[in-house]
Amino acid sequence: MSRPDRSRTSAHQLRPFFSSQNLLNRADGSAQFDFGGSSVMCSVVGPAEVRIRDEKLDRATIEVVARPLVGIPSIKEKAREQNIRETLEPLILSGLHPRTGIQIVVQTMKDDGCILSTAFNATIMALMDAGIPLKSILGSVTCMVDEKTNQIWLDPTTEELAQAKSAHVFVFDNKSSITSASAGAQGKDADVDMDQDTVGAAILFSDSTGLFTEEQYFECAQICFKAAQAIHGFIRTAIAKKLEKEYQQTHA
Amino acid sequence: MKEIEPSTNEREFVLAALKDGARIDGRNSYDFRTLRLSFGSDYGAVEVQLGNTRVLAKVSCEVIRPFTDKPTEGFLVFNTEMSPMASSTFEVGRQTDEEVLVSRLIEKAMKRSRALDTEGLCIVAGEKVWSIRVDIHFLDHDGNLVDAACIAAITALMHFRRPDVTVVGEDVTIHTLEQRNPVPLSIHHIPICVTFAFFHHGEHMIVDPTYLEEQIKQGDMTITLNVHKEVCALSKAGGLPMKMDQILQSTKIAVVKVTEITAQIQAALEADAKKRQTSRK
Repeated sequence: MSRPDRSRTSAHQLRPFFSSQNLLNRADGSAQFDFGGSSVMCSVVGPAEVRIRDEKLDRATIEVVARPLVGIPSIKEKAREQNIRETLEPLILSGLHPRTGIQIVVQTMKDDGCILSTAFNATIMALMDAGIPLKSILGSVTCMVDEKTNQIWLDPTTEELAQAKSAHVFVFDNKSSITSASAGAQGKDADVDMDQDTVGAAILFSDSTGLFTEEQYFECAQICFKAAQAIHGFIRTAIAKKLEKEYQQTHA
Repeated sequence: MKEIEPSTNEREFVLAALKDGARIDGRNSYDFRTLRLSFGSDYGAVEVQLGNTRVLAKVSCEVIRPFTDKPTEGFLVFNTEMSPMASSTFEVGRQTDEEVLVSRLIEKAMKRSRALDTEGLCIVAGEKVWSIRVDIHFLDHDGNLVDAACIAAITALMHFRRPDVTVVGEDVTIHTLEQRNPVPLSIHHIPICVTFAFFHHGEHMIVDPTYLEEQIKQGDMTITLNVHKEVCALSKAGGLPMKMDQILQSTKIAVVKVTEITAQIQAALEADAKKRQTSRK
């Protein structure tokens, strides 16, 4: 029943995650997010000047640039750029900054699976570091279904992804987690609680590859939703700590 | 996005300070900024921080067919595309003049100085050779990208291990990292770039300029040397006319800097090797 990644005992365990903000001095905001052996650096510039042909009269233009660790950007990176941009566009309050541009650069630093999820988490932290107004924050987690055992493994490594029947990337926002938490508090028994969890969970983005059944998909969604709560909590603590530090520095 | 020129006040302040032999970040004229090297969990990944300048180098390898006229030569490929992460003046898919210059300089310093033994990358003559790829990612631009990139590239090449191969007759077996200990690349020497910037018509010379200093400078020169006091490359693309003895003087300064940096690279590599050994036990 054990998984190839021997550092973890459970199938539903995330790798240790870690983040640091405000690393780069030229960008307006930056963050690095690590999921075990995977790491992504993200920088944000904006709201700034935008090329005339990209200018939008009523809102900010959001540009995402994804860069691979090895080689030149290919279709994979183009797809990643589109995924991130389309997920973030409704989240960023771009109407507040019309006729400007917000440029997001996502650079893979280490690759050990789940790069898209790592990139999502790094991006949202970099956006907050840059002070871009947001509707809500997001948290992303990847899981996979093992080919042999049909087990669901959370946050797989590259080695584990090689034997995946299907892989699923989910992004949840933190608004839905608040509603589901309050729903959970009102719920009388555990079963109802579980159901309301899925009802409350608004999926911002979902990307699945491979063969899977409907039940498998919903099971994956539920497992990832629970794991995303840990990510949300982590982001909240990281931001709180950073603000506390900044406050102490400015008021010292 | 367009580059913002430093204001007249900033410019005059920097120039006036240089006249008194002072630099805005408190360094002496011939001081490098603090150099920090950090290694990734896998072989051949190095992050270099030179003050606020930040560069990531990643080495990878693959087996390919050699050119027919050089059947025993392996390949060394550099990718130095600049992303807007370093500075928003860099645009995707469009090379700036600065970018082309930096890329050429790195290639000259590393490839044409024959730092890497490309013949040692041959597996089967005329059939299979290793192609070593160095991807250099510029993360933060605070001046002197060339020196930082050069340190990152050579450190990554020294840190890198390629999979071991055995050749029996026609059969070639490439062993995975788990099966056999991977082998390091054979490196002839360690070329290090040292960049100088000139002000006041060549009167003042500084080492390792920051971004602000680069914007104000009148001319620059990059000398690539190794610890054996051999000049591997020298690049002075226009700018100011310089006196002969000034070039000699800067070479002497560069020799000292190269010795310091090489020692630091080697110390960092040794520390990492030790760390890896203890974690494996």
